[in-house]
Amino acid sequence: MSNFSVFIGGSAGSIAPLITILSRLPANFSPSITLVIHSNEDSKNAMTEVIANNCPLTVIEVRDKGQLKSNSIHIAPSGYHLYVETKQHFSLSTDRKIHFSRPSIDVLFTSAAEVFKEHCIAILLSGANEDGAAGLLDIKKHGGLTIAQSPASAQVDIMPQTAIDKGAAAKVLSPNEITRLLIQFNDLG
Amino acid sequence: MDKQDTELTLKTENLEIELLITAIREKTGYDLSGYAKASIKRRIKQLVVDENVIHISDLIAKLLHSPQSESHFINSLTVNVSELFRHPLSFLQLRESVLPYLASFPRRDVWVAGCSTGEEAYSMAILLEEVGLLKNTQIHATDINTDVLKQAKTGVLSKALNKGDAARYQASGGTASLSNYFSTAYNKNKLSQFLLDHISFSHHNILQDQVFCSAQLVLCRNVMIYFDIETQCHALTLFNNSLVQNGYLVIGEKESLINTPFSGFLKTIDEPAKIYQRKSLDNV
Repeated sequence: MSNFSVFIGGSAGSIAPLITILSRLPANFSPSITLVIHSNEDSKNAMTEVIANNCPLTVIEVRDKGQLKSNSIHIAPSGYHLYVETKQHFSLSTDRKIHFSRPSIDVLFTSAAEVFKEHCIAILLSGANEDGAAGLLDIKKHGGLTIAQSPASAQVDIMPQTAIDKGAAAKVLSPNEITRLLIQFNDLG
Repeated sequence: MDKQDTELTLKTENLEIELLITAIREKTGYDLSGYAKASIKRRIKQLVVDENVIHISDLIAKLLHSPQSESHFINSLTVNVSELFRHPLSFLQLRESVLPYLASFPRRDVWVAGCSTGEEAYSMAILLEEVGLLKNTQIHATDINTDVLKQAKTGVLSKALNKGDAARYQASGGTASLSNYFSTAYNKNKLSQFLLDHISFSHHNILQDQVFCSAQLVLCRNVMIYFDIETQCHALTLFNNSLVQNGYLVIGEKESLINTPFSGFLKTIDEPAKIYQRKSLDNV
């Protein structure tokens, strides 16, 4: 299993870039991938399906104390915060919302930063709120690689722009550039 | 340098958390060491903000020197979210598959472990009433948090009845009007007294106390997600021991027995509904 683990957060306008990225990753993409995407109650099941139908990796909706697996995409269940508990497993909670969101991207990113430290690759996509920026900064402080979707390529630029303004993004890239970078990482092992 | 500072801060925070948990245990008797680390850390950091202090270790001084902070800390660090007919599929399966079996007992005990503000126990009382089994049933609702127990005992819903409640009730197989089971005054909804009379609310700590009662049905939903794996096993042992032979355990929608040895001890009745059954002795 790769040393690295990939964490992606997004909100309004993030499904299209997410599919662009995930659909082009090869089936041998080894680092585990974990997603927190804000969604309303009605579209929560649709998202898992859309992702599963569009990419070669295994898609898992996380259960409490579920394992992080390589060659897999882990998705936070709607209504629960998703934490990285150890390098091996997640935990869930129904603690209060953060930035009006549960799951919250900050919760995932901050917990991932503390466990994976410099072995995190974190990506913050399009969105209309400020969730994710503080978590992305935590990942950067722990030596992980942080990427914000370029505001010009984002349908809603508030989320990535907030992260950039906070100095949390080491790289600012379009979805295609993010895909290429991830594939390079995988090829390097 | 920056990264080294971050690592040092993290180490210091984690040490402060260990010391705080020790202080809470020594001062109050509550042992929070079996809670899942990442989520309790976030709640502790929230408490730092709410208490208007700078460091996690400042909470230790507050705990030791201001008497009212004891229960406030425990109540803030344990989570209390609940709603009526949460996870309707599970209630539907209880109604259709489990309760008909429980009807064969002359009287029934149901344990709602971690009842929070009472919605789970209220829902159970309504369900039992609708299948005609409430009469000889006692619902034992327990929680570690004294504030929520006080609220739960009143029968008054923490949030006024809304469309979501009605929709979940219907998805649980309910055909009446949910509001029939509540009286309403000043925009507050109170569970009807004849239902409330079948529920007893008591203080109980799943991690440190013994089996609360012998029960045909134990519900413990979205409580074990706050525990680490080892502590989950402890809780499951407690529930298994409290169940009569062939009694049923119901856990939360996103919880799983897969990471525990109990996937072998308990028989899966309905995985999506999260209903399991204690195996009878001759099958073990």
